[in-house]
Amino acid sequence: MSAFESTPPPTPAWTKAEKVLFRFVFIYFIIQVIPLSWQFYRDLFSIDWGAFYYRDLFHLSRYAPHFFGQDDTFVNWAVVALIALAGTVIWSLRDSTRTDYTALFYWLRVVLRYRLAIAVFAYGFIKLFPLLAPLPSISNLNTPYGDFTAWKLFSLSLGIVPSYESFLGLVEIVGGLLLLNRKTTAIGTLIIIPFLGNVFVSNLAYEGGESVYSLLLITFALVLFGYDAIRLFRLVSLEQPTLPNRFKPVFTETWQRYSRLALKSSFIFFAVFLYGYKTYAAYKTGSYQFPKTAGLPGAAGVYDVSVFKLADETLPYSKTDSVRWQDVVFETWNTISIKSNRPVILDRTNTERIMADDASRTYEQAGSAGRHYYRYQVDSTRHVLALTNRNPNYPNETLTLQYERDGSNQIILSGLNERRDSVYVVLNKLNKKYLLNEAAKAGRRGTLKL
Amino acid sequence: MALPDITPERQDLGLISPEELTQIPIHERQHVASNSQISGKQQPEDSKSASRYRAWTTAQKIAFRIAFIFFTVISLPTSASWYKNIFSLDWLHLHYRDLYDVARFQPNILGRVSWWPVWLGYGEWVFILLVSAALGLIWTAVIKIRRAEPRDYNLLYYWLRVVVRYRAGIGIIGFGFTKLLPTQLPYPSLGLLNTNFGDLTAQKIYWLSIGIVPWYEVFAGVVEVLAGALLFFRATTFWGAVLLFGALADIVYVNLAYDGGVHGYSSYFVLLSGFLLIYYVKDLYNLLIREQLTIPNYYYPSFGKIWQKIGRIGLKTATIGIFLVLLFWIQYVNFRYDPYKQPAQKGVRELRGNYAVSEFRLNNKEIPYSPVDSLRWQEATFENWSTLTFKVNRPVPLDLSNGGGSPMRDLNRTFELTGVAGGQRVFYYDADPVNHVLYLQDKYRPGRRGEDSEGDTSGKRDRKKTLEKPDNWIPATALANIGPEYSKIEPIALTTRRAKGIKSETRQEDGKRKRMILNYQTTDGSRVVLTGITENKDSIYVVLDRINRPYALSKSTLNAGEYQ
Repeated sequence: MSAFESTPPPTPAWTKAEKVLFRFVFIYFIIQVIPLSWQFYRDLFSIDWGAFYYRDLFHLSRYAPHFFGQDDTFVNWAVVALIALAGTVIWSLRDSTRTDYTALFYWLRVVLRYRLAIAVFAYGFIKLFPLLAPLPSISNLNTPYGDFTAWKLFSLSLGIVPSYESFLGLVEIVGGLLLLNRKTTAIGTLIIIPFLGNVFVSNLAYEGGESVYSLLLITFALVLFGYDAIRLFRLVSLEQPTLPNRFKPVFTETWQRYSRLALKSSFIFFAVFLYGYKTYAAYKTGSYQFPKTAGLPGAAGVYDVSVFKLADETLPYSKTDSVRWQDVVFETWNTISIKSNRPVILDRTNTERIMADDASRTYEQAGSAGRHYYRYQVDSTRHVLALTNRNPNYPNETLTLQYERDGSNQIILSGLNERRDSVYVVLNKLNKKYLLNEAAKAGRRGTLKL
Repeated sequence: MALPDITPERQDLGLISPEELTQIPIHERQHVASNSQISGKQQPEDSKSASRYRAWTTAQKIAFRIAFIFFTVISLPTSASWYKNIFSLDWLHLHYRDLYDVARFQPNILGRVSWWPVWLGYGEWVFILLVSAALGLIWTAVIKIRRAEPRDYNLLYYWLRVVVRYRAGIGIIGFGFTKLLPTQLPYPSLGLLNTNFGDLTAQKIYWLSIGIVPWYEVFAGVVEVLAGALLFFRATTFWGAVLLFGALADIVYVNLAYDGGVHGYSSYFVLLSGFLLIYYVKDLYNLLIREQLTIPNYYYPSFGKIWQKIGRIGLKTATIGIFLVLLFWIQYVNFRYDPYKQPAQKGVRELRGNYAVSEFRLNNKEIPYSPVDSLRWQEATFENWSTLTFKVNRPVPLDLSNGGGSPMRDLNRTFELTGVAGGQRVFYYDADPVNHVLYLQDKYRPGRRGEDSEGDTSGKRDRKKTLEKPDNWIPATALANIGPEYSKIEPIALTTRRAKGIKSETRQEDGKRKRMILNYQTTDGSRVVLTGITENKDSIYVVLDRINRPYALSKSTLNAGEYQ
């Protein structure tokens, strides 16, 4: 460390308590930040440099040490704290002569700054280019409000205003950029702490799955902010003369200066420019939340089920019958969703995952009851749709339906349903106007009949 | 990390602490300050006594004069109704809205004139800024001509910041308490839960998305109230202003994105808190970016005289007592018994719930269920309060306002109706429990335009037509059974404002609402038979069967109102 001596004047000696506390903080956060699992490095070296670079980096950026399973829990934190406690005891016994850890504290902050920055970039860019919360699907629009979980409603509510989503992403990215500079770190944390604080409370309130991770990021930010908070408080609240941060590393060797420059530039290149470009490219091809495979051409829309026959017996319209379909939605991609009174076992996925294959993209039905979602394959020569339930709770549910289209507005389906009963269904496309879209044209003070 | 002990450096630099500073008699300091300003230029280096406060440059002075007029004008109430309200308060029977209206005003000099552009509501600000600039320049000219500088700008700046701090603090606390005790964004009614996502306006979706998580709403309220409270103290002003700036900047963007309607008022706080933050920029830049020793040098008048001390402490205590303690209490009472966006009266107990429409006869003709039929009810809901909703597949005129304001009558509390389509009809009812008759009125009121913003409607309602003939569609015997609306809530929540509001809102009814009179028969509510005359003078016969409708959305764990 001799090359990184602090610049004069030398800082005063730390008290014993401060030294002990620092040793604990240092070990604790180093374990939280530096990846120790071999899977991390396996994933790191198998990064897809093509279209899914952003997915791989996103997943890598969410690293947190796991001792039990893959879920983020506070138990992991407790384990880290125990290790840090043990380390503190040993360190304190073996290093009792040190007067201060100013330099080491500086390097801990460097590590935390970059760790935090990559985390906020990872989430910031998928919001700046509104991928995280896409516009609602047709099925989502035709689901009663109360049939969604709170977390899904949070995402849908954000999804209807892409510009706001971009704004949030921008704030996050600006906060991250300010972390990349020692001098602007305090301002960056003043932006990031309220932002992540809001994310954390939202995760708790909306039953999201990322409360532990977002709190972890907040602890990183608090360590960074804590360093400057004392002097800020002294300046603006106590109004006393305040000393600035006096420590900066002195790089005496040329190789040190070049490596610093190289490391910093490559971080910015990979985490900002390349990641930003890849998320933008992904945005241009459509949100990763919805499948990519196109659906039946020209079929997208919501359909009234005017005739429903089960084993040749016609069932009348009913809201309470668990077998009869009530309405059907064709998405622009290969999803059909069917509303019936048969209860849906909820898919409660509530953490952010970016999936490459269509089958794993379950956003459209996650956290949503009221409709059954099927992905389908079209056999256009035999006019057959092979349906598979998208919900992981119905792994083996399939339907095989022949389709007839006699014009643009009617589709007749016939074949076998999930229980291998024969069904015959006449679907009539509804000319549904959504208030969500219409009101935007009329304005809050406008009048509208719908 | 050790806190650096910088006392020796301060001694070297000849500095003393602010505590010591305030002990200097005020006349001496003002002498010092005014001395330094007469010159108007940089003071001489050797003028030791004058060096405590840096002199203001000419540009700074001009900017300050304009800012002084601008911020004074936008921070003080200018409308007559504000003063009228404050002098007509019944302090013994205070409604939360009484104090809310005291706290809630925004720059309003122009009103709604046609000769000045609106610019999304920011036109007013531009106008005031231009007028302030003109006055500020006149002020500068007067000083030039008279060749005298009678004002101590540090003192003026101090008092301007006091005005802005208190304005912003009081204003945001008024707003914050409606979230801290979650009434501003209510948990969705059953009717709203049953409405398709696409049949809501963006604004409605945003408000519901906070309403479904009342604890989050409480959190947002705590942030706002805390920011406001921090502004009451000069030592914590910076933190309050940062919090307010961040929180309200987000709310501004939210309101623009979702067309929520309060972007103007929320921008107001961003402006005020931004102004408060400017004060610290120079020192923060010096400390954090330039990494230099920074010596704050903030000016305070000292309140040496006994009347000054008493005045200061008295005013401060009164502000905190009224806007933090009293407002909390009356807001709590409102949340508990009279949540302002949600009806307050209890609904008929045995009717509450979700119903399937099993049988529907119109003029004695049975209509089978079909989602595309335009006459038949598809589903119906009785809320905990006195509302019946039902769905019919027929276009109706919609109310796209945000359902705000603070109507006293349940009939005018329209949050369950506004911004909702999908054929949802919402009817308020008065129940005659003796004869089992519901007197229903459509919550949609023809010709009523959306409100500007949350609140801001007091005294502005169109109060044109009152009915000439007495409107006795409810027979006197039934009225006797129904009873007056005023007293149908807990006595502790009865206020003068409620009494007055119910009276004046009743007068404003012009008989244009759709009405139904329906007889109800039920034993325990599992099956309800409604018979009677609809809004179109048709006779109907409806059989409702209660259904257990499980929602994926978690139930609210914090409920406004008292309906047990």
